[in-house]
Amino acid sequence: MRNAFLKQLPILLLGATALFSSCNNSAGKAGSSDSATAKETVKIGVLHSLSGTMAISEVSLRDAVQMAVDEINAKGGVLGKQIEPVIVDPASDWDLFAEKAKELLIDKKVSAVFGCWTSVSRKSVLPVFEQNNGLLFYPVQYEGEECSNSVIYTGATPNQQLIPAAEYLMSEKGGGYKKFYLLGTDYVFPRTANKILKAYLLSKGIPKENIIEEYTPFHHQDYQTIISKVKRFAADGKACILSTINGDSNVPFYKEFANQGLSSATCPIMAFSVAEDELRSMDTEFLVGHLAAWNYFQSNDLPENKKFVADFKAFCAKKGLPGGDKRVTDDPICWAYTGVYLWAKAAEKAGSFDVSKVRNALYGLDYPSPDGLVKMDPRNHHLAKPVVIGEIKPDGQFDIIWKSEGLVDPQPWSPLTSPDKDCDWVNHNGTYAKK
Amino acid sequence: MKTKNNPLYYILFIAIFAILLPAGYLSGLLSVNTISVWGRYFCFAIAALGIDLIWGYTGILSMCQAFFFCLGSYGIAMHLLLKKTVAAGAVLPDFMAWNKIDTLPLFWQPFHSFGWSLALCLLIPALFAFVIGFVLFRSRIKGVYMAIITQALTLAMWLIFLRNETNLGGTNGLTDFNTLLGYSLSSSSVKLALYMISFAVLCAAYFFCYRITNSKFGKVLQAIRDSESRISYAAYKVVDYKLAVFVVAALLAAVGGMLYLPQTGIITPGRMDVKASVEMVMWVALGGRGNLKGAVLGALLVNFLYSICTSLFPDSWLFILGFLFVITVLYFDKGFMGLLESIKQRFSPTRFKTPQTTH
Amino acid sequence: MLMCCLLLLPLKVAAQDSASIYTAQLLQPPNDSVRTQAIGRLAALRIPATFPLLIAINDKKLYLLDHKAVTVDSKPTGEGTYRLYSLYPDNILLTNSSGQPLLLPLSALQTVDIPRADRLQLAGIAPLLNLFSNDAQKRILAYTQLKNTGDSATLSILQAALAKESNADARRTGKDVLYAARLYSATSTAAAKAYIDSIGDNWSDNAPVLLRNYAKAGFLNQETAHYAAAQAISLEKRYDSLQRIQNFFSGLSLGSILILIALGLSIVYGLAGIINMAHGEFMMIGAYTTYCTQVFFTHTLGIPQTDLFFLAALPLSFMIAGAMGWILERLVIRHLYAKPLESLLATWGVSLILIQTARLLFGDLTAVKTPQLLSGGWQVSPHLTLPYNRIFIIVLTLLMVVFTYLMLYRSRLGLQIRAVTQNRQMSACLGIETRRVASITFFIGSGLAGLAGCAITLIGNVVPDMGQTYIVDSFLVVVTGGVGKLAGTIFSGLGIGFFTKISESFFQAVYGKVFILVFIMLFMQYKPKGLFPDKGRVAED
Repeated sequence: MRNAFLKQLPILLLGATALFSSCNNSAGKAGSSDSATAKETVKIGVLHSLSGTMAISEVSLRDAVQMAVDEINAKGGVLGKQIEPVIVDPASDWDLFAEKAKELLIDKKVSAVFGCWTSVSRKSVLPVFEQNNGLLFYPVQYEGEECSNSVIYTGATPNQQLIPAAEYLMSEKGGGYKKFYLLGTDYVFPRTANKILKAYLLSKGIPKENIIEEYTPFHHQDYQTIISKVKRFAADGKACILSTINGDSNVPFYKEFANQGLSSATCPIMAFSVAEDELRSMDTEFLVGHLAAWNYFQSNDLPENKKFVADFKAFCAKKGLPGGDKRVTDDPICWAYTGVYLWAKAAEKAGSFDVSKVRNALYGLDYPSPDGLVKMDPRNHHLAKPVVIGEIKPDGQFDIIWKSEGLVDPQPWSPLTSPDKDCDWVNHNGTYAKK
Repeated sequence: MKTKNNPLYYILFIAIFAILLPAGYLSGLLSVNTISVWGRYFCFAIAALGIDLIWGYTGILSMCQAFFFCLGSYGIAMHLLLKKTVAAGAVLPDFMAWNKIDTLPLFWQPFHSFGWSLALCLLIPALFAFVIGFVLFRSRIKGVYMAIITQALTLAMWLIFLRNETNLGGTNGLTDFNTLLGYSLSSSSVKLALYMISFAVLCAAYFFCYRITNSKFGKVLQAIRDSESRISYAAYKVVDYKLAVFVVAALLAAVGGMLYLPQTGIITPGRMDVKASVEMVMWVALGGRGNLKGAVLGALLVNFLYSICTSLFPDSWLFILGFLFVITVLYFDKGFMGLLESIKQRFSPTRFKTPQTTH
Repeated sequence: MLMCCLLLLPLKVAAQDSASIYTAQLLQPPNDSVRTQAIGRLAALRIPATFPLLIAINDKKLYLLDHKAVTVDSKPTGEGTYRLYSLYPDNILLTNSSGQPLLLPLSALQTVDIPRADRLQLAGIAPLLNLFSNDAQKRILAYTQLKNTGDSATLSILQAALAKESNADARRTGKDVLYAARLYSATSTAAAKAYIDSIGDNWSDNAPVLLRNYAKAGFLNQETAHYAAAQAISLEKRYDSLQRIQNFFSGLSLGSILILIALGLSIVYGLAGIINMAHGEFMMIGAYTTYCTQVFFTHTLGIPQTDLFFLAALPLSFMIAGAMGWILERLVIRHLYAKPLESLLATWGVSLILIQTARLLFGDLTAVKTPQLLSGGWQVSPHLTLPYNRIFIIVLTLLMVVFTYLMLYRSRLGLQIRAVTQNRQMSACLGIETRRVASITFFIGSGLAGLAGCAITLIGNVVPDMGQTYIVDSFLVVVTGGVGKLAGTIFSGLGIGFFTKISESFFQAVYGKVFILVFIMLFMQYKPKGLFPDKGRVAED
């Protein structure tokens, strides 16, 4: 028995070695390809969940990044090198996000990473990027209160989305609303967003009892109780909902809202997490007339955008992605796409793919995005861009009803909740205390 | 089942993980990332040993091991976060300051000290396990009921941990740590050290479990699995035995969690959602339940596949894992270990029949 | 007053003329600034006859039909066509030659595009305009937003609007505003009290607020203020009791969804001892079947506005999910009978595969259009609306429970299923084809899940992992009820439904859920085998 088994020892050892070589093949391959083809390609990482709960939103961002890469490659690449995207699936698993980030930075040695959607995934990879001197392009609107040297935030800060929306609703043109129901999914973005909104509303003289804050768990499906509360709250008119409800809870929420006899005329919903991509296949009948605030809508009529939308549809159809040419663009898709171009432009400007050189080249860099000319902040890693408010149309598109004059500068630290803090990587070391 | 004590497995195992892998890293063939990834798998394997004890040997399917795992992780995370906060000259961790909390909640206070943190990381899961086990076993909940109730419990805990009011970071969990006992977590040598510690603890846990399963206590556990009513007729206090093994399994999970945290750098409630808690059981099922080597092998292999497949086949890895689960359960109901054994028997000249266990 | 009107008359005629001029200018403007001015003037004139036109501008629903300004209903009729209304000088429903309402699709009309900047000029008088809107919701809102009711001109417009008000809710709201206006101008305590009573009797949504405001203002004297406050409190108490009915209904609705899902699970588990973690995915298959049926009806058959697809989807989702369940049974489950814990793992693997397949086939977020017939709600009383889709689900659940009962207890198949459930070997000895029975049971169980999926498209969305949202809940229902027990499933489903809703009205939704889980754990202390445990020898394994 033991003899027989001893005979197998070499085989087993061989098997084990094979296993490890396969585990390490990524690293090995990276090394070999680096030396062989270093002149032609540069690697970037794509870190978006392709399975699990967040796949709903993040798959489209992977597609947008892929499209930008294809376009740049077709035009001859960056600094004469073709971009080679390394796509991994962190599977909506926050620990796996950190693991994949390490893999991309340490084993695959990518020059930049485009990825993440939820705050928790960003927080999960943040230490990895800071310790390994990586660069993450983060394309989604977020809660602010962060100022990392390793992240380029192309999405909106609170002042680029929340405050203009609340301001609009309180204005004469917006309907002069006096009562606000802050409803969100229970996680850090809605919590922080509502904290800032509440501070803003209170500072504008809205009495405390006219602001209600409520949170539901992720994937909440049953909004009966909450809608009856809203109904009561909105009975005397002048009430609106500021919604940070996330993902798949939106359909049951809007359906229940309409079914209990409420409508956008009686109590409009201003959504901060509902964009064209979510509306693509929703039954929009119940949503028509409700509002959303973003930095970009597919319906804006700039020539750059017309081309971008047409290209994206053609790209999805050509690649045989689900949805095909019925796909739409939205705010995060636009910023995921723009992020790749910003990185490419910065690399060209710096003449190098080195992270710190690219980062320095990014300060104050402008780029003609589908949303018009946008500009990186000269002192921190956020993007100055316009704010738009749109009204949902029956075809799932937005009618732009308000647009900021010019670009709105990013404020990662909201002056309402952190008046003493600011973010500056040029004259200070990140977050500093204002005098 | 009688475990054949073949030293070859151990030699192979130690040769690969204690010598080959670190040597590979030191010679520059393997990156430090590979080392810490395997270090994390060891933590899962430690928890898997606990699951094998309670499920494989005692026949109780507990779906709340993920919760105990998280309790261990959260404890250490709280300690590391406090250390970082104090080092930065602040009183409160960042997320609390943003949530407008003025004073450190009382239950955070003991985590200033490393000793207390370690003690609490073990005490709290043990206490939870004791209370849950006492309530469930006393009312003779077993089998599927036990599985679903413990799953529901984990779900409830998951919901509570997701809340910001719990002051444990909500969905974002706890992240961004600097140092452990003064050593920087980002340095490669610390990572290697953590890997080696995890490996040592895994070995210790294995031998601890091995001793248990071969002791009289272990025999009673297996008797409970095979026929609970008969063993209780023989005047054994079944509840006490179950309770003891449940607490031991919880402790193993917590130890796994404690070692897991510094190597991963983040703990979120996502570690104990429904998916995570089913997956933990899956490791043991795939490795071969009722077999300690199987539990370790299953945990290492499934997680290794998970890491590899999500990188190499981002679009189709779920198919691969799904088919693997189905096929293993259908054709190799003793898991990989069963498969190995049967291969071995096929090739060995002196075939003999192993006595089948009855379930 | 009369003098005033007489004096105003010539002015009014002149205004009417200028209104026609502005209207013409607005529809065929020589340039943009003329149109802007015309709208501004019309808004300033405040002539009720021009309001329908201005509303159409404000709502972006102004169209031209043969060079005449028309507008459309807020919702299309069944076939995607709209009813048309003329706008100025009169506001009437357009009919065709045979006297039937004229129905046209939007594509047959020429859209008049008024820029937002121009429309904004109407923002100030929007409440006044909306008093004459075709949309009852907007009218209700307009009544509540009406300011300066003390102003006689506004008051007369309010009265004019009320005179032609057709919607009961809107009339109630309008009347309250009118009573409130009179209440403020009342000079005697008795008159004020009478108005307060009228507001109370009328009881619109807005009534408590109006009364509170009056009480706070303390307009006439302390007595009327107190009286108004008391009236407001009694109204709110009545509202609360209606809310309790609403809560009860919500619980019933949630419970019936849980029952619908757990029904199939319970049968399958009871019969085969299989913990089917993929049960939720059969629900997902049912939901996607509904979605595909809808797509088939709208795109392939080309009938976009129809409820027919849903009727077709109900049996289809049952059949397809059932067929998938049958295949699963043949391929996988067959080998796992009486190994409950292994089945848990295998079906979990199956669910991973099914989810990823759905993701690759359909992409991600999709939703089914609610059939016209089931949108909206049944207004039981002015303050109690029960949504039709939820009523439908309750009725469907009831039917399915009856169906399952008949199947299990009144048919030969049911007898066989129950026999196999109790003792597989014995049944086989007695000549029951246990394998066939098992396949059929699996078919029915999965089919029921598919039907549940079809029903859930009415309230939620269709995503690949929708099944996972419900799986733990439905297992809880089965466990609490006692495995394989029809009555147990019904009782525990309803119990959990009601209990969740009741706790939700006290705590936030999350704690409601935690509370229910803790409660079930404690309940299991008392009844470890569920509400309806097996009795006798079957119970001991």
